[in-house]
This record gives sequence, C-alpha cells and structure tokens, in this order.
Amino acid sequence: MRHQLSLKIGPASFRIGSAWREPIELLTKLYADYPQTSDEVSDFTVRLEPTSLLRRWVRPSIFITGDHGLADAAPMSLSHGLLAAEMGMNLQMALGWRRHLLLHASSVEKDGRALVMTGESGSGKSTLAAQLGERGWRLMGDEFALLDLVTGAVFPFPRLVSLKNGAIDVIAGEAPAERMGPLLAGTAKGDIRHLAPRADAVTRMEEGVRPALLLFPRFGHAEAVRLVGQGEVFMRLTQASTNYVALGEAGFGALTRFVQDVPARAIDFPSGEAAIALVERLWEELG
Amino acid sequence: MSGVALVRALREPGTVAKLDAAGWTALIAAARAERLIGTLAFRIDEAMTPAAVRPILADARVDADREARQALWEADRAAEALGAPVLLLKGTAYVAAGLAAGEGRFIGDLDILVPRQMMNQVENILNAAGWEWVKQDAYDDAYYRQWMHELPPMIHRERDRMIDVHHTILPLTARQRPDAEAMLMDAVSITERLSVLSPEDMVCHSVAHLLADGDLAGGLRNLWDIHCLLDRVDAARLAERAKRHGIGKHVAQAQRLAAALYGGQGAPLTLWDRVIVWRLLARDGWGRETRKLLRFGFYLRSHWLRMPPLMLARHLFTKWRKGHRPI
Amino acid sequence: MTAERRYHQDCNAALRELEDITLLYHRASGQTHMVISPVPEILEALGDRPATATEVHARLERRYDLGEPEQVIAEIEAHLAGLVALGVVRGA
Repeated sequence: MRHQLSLKIGPASFRIGSAWREPIELLTKLYADYPQTSDEVSDFTVRLEPTSLLRRWVRPSIFITGDHGLADAAPMSLSHGLLAAEMGMNLQMALGWRRHLLLHASSVEKDGRALVMTGESGSGKSTLAAQLGERGWRLMGDEFALLDLVTGAVFPFPRLVSLKNGAIDVIAGEAPAERMGPLLAGTAKGDIRHLAPRADAVTRMEEGVRPALLLFPRFGHAEAVRLVGQGEVFMRLTQASTNYVALGEAGFGALTRFVQDVPARAIDFPSGEAAIALVERLWEELG
Repeated sequence: MSGVALVRALREPGTVAKLDAAGWTALIAAARAERLIGTLAFRIDEAMTPAAVRPILADARVDADREARQALWEADRAAEALGAPVLLLKGTAYVAAGLAAGEGRFIGDLDILVPRQMMNQVENILNAAGWEWVKQDAYDDAYYRQWMHELPPMIHRERDRMIDVHHTILPLTARQRPDAEAMLMDAVSITERLSVLSPEDMVCHSVAHLLADGDLAGGLRNLWDIHCLLDRVDAARLAERAKRHGIGKHVAQAQRLAAALYGGQGAPLTLWDRVIVWRLLARDGWGRETRKLLRFGFYLRSHWLRMPPLMLARHLFTKWRKGHRPI
Repeated sequence: MTAERRYHQDCNAALRELEDITLLYHRASGQTHMVISPVPEILEALGDRPATATEVHARLERRYDLGEPEQVIAEIEAHLAGLVALGVVRGA
C-alpha cells in the first residue's frame, strides 16, 4: 500500500495502509504525540482500499478493510478518509481484540478511579467524556473501555474523540484548534469532527484504574437519576460488549465482577452543563 | 510474497526465527487473510517468537479453542435433535476426532452428511428444533434443492449458528459422481452419537471441496487439511476410494500440491499444478489477494465444473442481474 | 406406569448471584443464562448425583418449605425439561 502509518493507542498497535495520501497525513498530524511503531510488530492491519480500480481516481471511494472486515461495509468518500481510518481501527478492535473485555463505553479518570459511561449513539457519552477530559479529568476513551480480565481494572483506549453535529461547536469552544480535526460534513451520522485527547491522556495511556461508577447517560431529557438493578446492568453491558461471547468464561467472570462491584445509575439531562454537574455530584457521592 | 512465507512457516516452523518485525506483521496479516492464524499459532513454538508476537498468537489459540467448543456443541445439539448418530464433515469432524487437521482450525458452519432419502425428514426435524432457513429468494432455493449436494443453509433461531446438511460431497451437476452411500457405510464412530468419514473418504471429501469445486478460495487452508489428513491414510485404499468416487485424478493432484507446499513425498508438478500454486500463493504482506485476473478465471472455472454450459450462462446472468459480483 | 426420567448436570456451570437474578455460564455451549429461583436451587440439589424429579424434590424438602408435593414435583419436572432444552441438564 502506497501510504502507511503505524501507531499505538492504549495497548493496541495498528498498521494503517491507504491508497491515498490524505487520510494518512491527517492521522499523522492528529496522532503526532502517540507512539509511532513502524519498527515493531503490529497487532492489527487496517487497509483503506479503492472500491474498484476506477474509483481510486474517479470520485474516489474507500472500502474499509484489514485483518478483520465486513464484506458489506458501506464505501466512504475520500473526503471522509479520516473517519474511514478511525472506523477501520474500531473494526479491528471490535472483532479481534481478546486481551480485555471490550465495553462500548466512554471512560474518564479522576483520583485514581474510573467513571464509565455507556449508551447508544446520541446518548451523550462521547461528548460528556470529551468535556470532562477538558475539565480536569483524564480522558481514557470515548468508544471502548477495556476491562482487565484478571484485575478488573479499566484501561484506556484514547483514540481521537468522534464529535457529532451539535457537540462539535460545544467542544470547539473548549479545546484548542490544533487538537481539532477537519470538519467532515454529510457523513452517515451527520457532521463529524475529531478531537485529539489532551497530552496527559496520551502520556498516561498505559495506566489502568479501578472502576468506581457506571452511568447510563441520556441526553435531551428532563434531569433525572435512577438506580439500575444488577440484572439490568448485566444485560445492557453484554449488549454493549463486542467480545463478551468470544471471551468465554473469562468474560463471564470479568463482567459479573464489574457488575457486582460498581454502582450504576441511569441519568437523564437536558444539557451538557447539567450533565457535568450531575456527574460531579454523583462522583462525590459514589465514586 | 507473504503467501510463500506463510507456507514456509507452516512447513518449517523453525524458519520464523529469522523474521524481523515487518516480516512478522506481514506473516500475521497473510495468515489471518487465509484463515490459518490458528493453525500457525499451534505450529509455532512460543520460544521462537518475539515478545510482541506472543499475545497475538495466544489470542489465536483462544479463538481456536472457543471455535472447537462451539462446533462440538452444535454437533451435540444436532445429534440431540435428530435423536440418532450424526455423521460430521470437515472442521467439526477433525475437532471431534481429535485430528491434527483440527488443531487451530477455523470452523464456520456445522456440516453433516445424511442419506439422500432422509433429507426431507431431517429438514423437518431441524426446523422443529429451532433451525430456520437463511433468507433466500425462490431462484436460489430451487437451484439448491434441485442441483446442489446439500440443503439450502439453515441457521439456528436462538444460537445464530449455521448448519449445512449434505447428501453427497459434490453438486449433482458436477461431472464426477461420488459414492455417498459407500461413505455412509464406511463411517467411523467416535462417540455414541457422532461419527466421521473413514480416513480415506475424509481426504476424498476435502479434495472434492478444493479442486473439483474449482474456486480455490481458502485453498491454502484446504491443502493444509489434506496434508494433515494424508498422514492417516492407507495409500492403496485411498487410490481405490478415489477411483470409486470418480475423483482419482483430483486426489493425485491434491497429493502433489500438498507435498509441494507443505512437505512430504510428492510427484513432480504439472504445468497446471504450477498455475494453481501460483494462484494459491497470491497473497501479499498486507493480506490482500493479488493476481486478480487469474482469480476471476478460477471463479468462472469453478462454476463451469459444477454446471453444464447453458445452465452456467443462465445462472450467472441471473446472479449478475441481482447485483452479485465475483470478488 | 412409566419409570421416572433421571437427570444429571451436563457439566459444571459457573453460577454467580447478582442482587436480583442469578447468572449461569454453561461451559460446553459457551452460553450465559439468566435464571431465578427455583432454578439455582434445583441445580444445586441435582449436584453431581443423577436424580429424578421426585428425588430432587426430596433433596430440596430438607432445606426449604415447598408446599403440596405433587404440584411441586410437576413444576420441578418442568424446570428440568427446560434445562434439558438448553443443554444444561441431560436426561440420564
């Protein structure tokens, strides 16, 4: 592949190949402070390939693939190449990572303990994590939280935070421009901009911490807090994990321990500010 | 050429000691693409690998173990539903019988062989026990039932796993005519409820799958299976069996190819053999299939072998119209 | 009268009690099941000694107050049949 980059995010290293220069250039700039691993063995290979010979040049169209891929992956335009690369890395993790239990969740750390937030797209977990990450918390990740199978600690996967639509302006107002990626308009999920995590998130990306609070956030509702029963937590987390089944008994042990040890609340909030206040209050109480 | 490196690593595991980081990354990408990473992980001694590689191969072994366990569970459920001994085929059979061919193997669906006259009954029992049809349109369904060697694929409603029920090992439209009844008669029992083909028939089935089928996708893996399975056969019996199933030439060819790739005594390769080897090794260090034009040629050939020419034209036309493209 | 069916546990299952339900990880199938009383109790009573529904009932009676035997035994039988369908228990 003509253009390539090798880098490490948390415990996972990726070799990313691309038929086009631009996505690699963008990745190189935004991941400049991350360990560059071109002299090392990579855990995963990601490939951004033309969907056909012609589409390398004419209305360039990217097929995302690699060690793990989905045959029916929707092609993406070259203008969204950065997003394609991020999705490619997510795909490898989601389908191939076995060294931790993966939770589709954001996580942030304060005082040596982790807050984990899980929910569907649009729940606000990514935006909330990004905001907390700019306000004294250490951002551990916005997409995957990694649960250690033996110790139960949560480990970081601090890739670029994916901000959508309304969240873009909110964060752009709080974070310096050099850490913001280009605006990718009109993707399948609307407008997207990426945020590179703060320096401390990168330098401390190998540090795992004990999880102390689990939240199920829901943006766009009147403020409310609800206790969530362990049975419901377990069920929702198995749905939020891409590798629970693949991990077998080790996954069962790790997830049940998490559910038994970590208090859980469902929180509804009308705005980002309200969410942050709610989070700080609950952390005070339970974290 | 990572296809070559992969085959060499399987044939002579000690040679991996010479790989640098880039070499390892390329080998792993090729192995994953050929679905041989599990096999590789079992072949290579951990002591010969750098620290960064160990977790990768350890993960592959974890996956292989889980695959094996799930495959055996599916076999158990099928036997439970059918209330009778089940004849296993392919990966599940290798694992159930504890064969070398099963070590580290990827197993997709559960494949079983049943007598042709029992197909309807088996279909009904499986339906009642929770397996349902994978959605197909009427054309594919009719084609399957009339011409193929198996029922259209079924998937279990709750467990989401596929089962393929075969009544012979090649499509009815192929020119060779394997003797399915003989295969059933000579099956070997491995537990009360599970049986597998005789060692010679296992080789024949694997060969039928690879070469008479013609597509050669997954060929490196298929030939590794054959290489392992050949260790267990009686040469004379294999030749006799192959002749019985009408695939004598193909079995001989598979023996040549397996030896050329993975070692062992082998007759010299023919020109066509060499083309096939060239095609099989067409994998680069990024895990991509190279030599695309050749691949399309093989795809066509695969269908040509299975179907008379007029049928082929009609089948491909219908598939083309529906948006399928050969990859 | 037909002989009563004997049951035994398929192989060990890992059980974890949460506040509101019990989780069962079945090793042979790799499946996780959520179960509530009386299933964990029935499995514990079954242990590794094959038993009929009546025998399971007898083992449970020693520890719990169960009520009308005939009805309870029928329920136990029904639960065992459900567990057989999952593969967690087998007919011996």
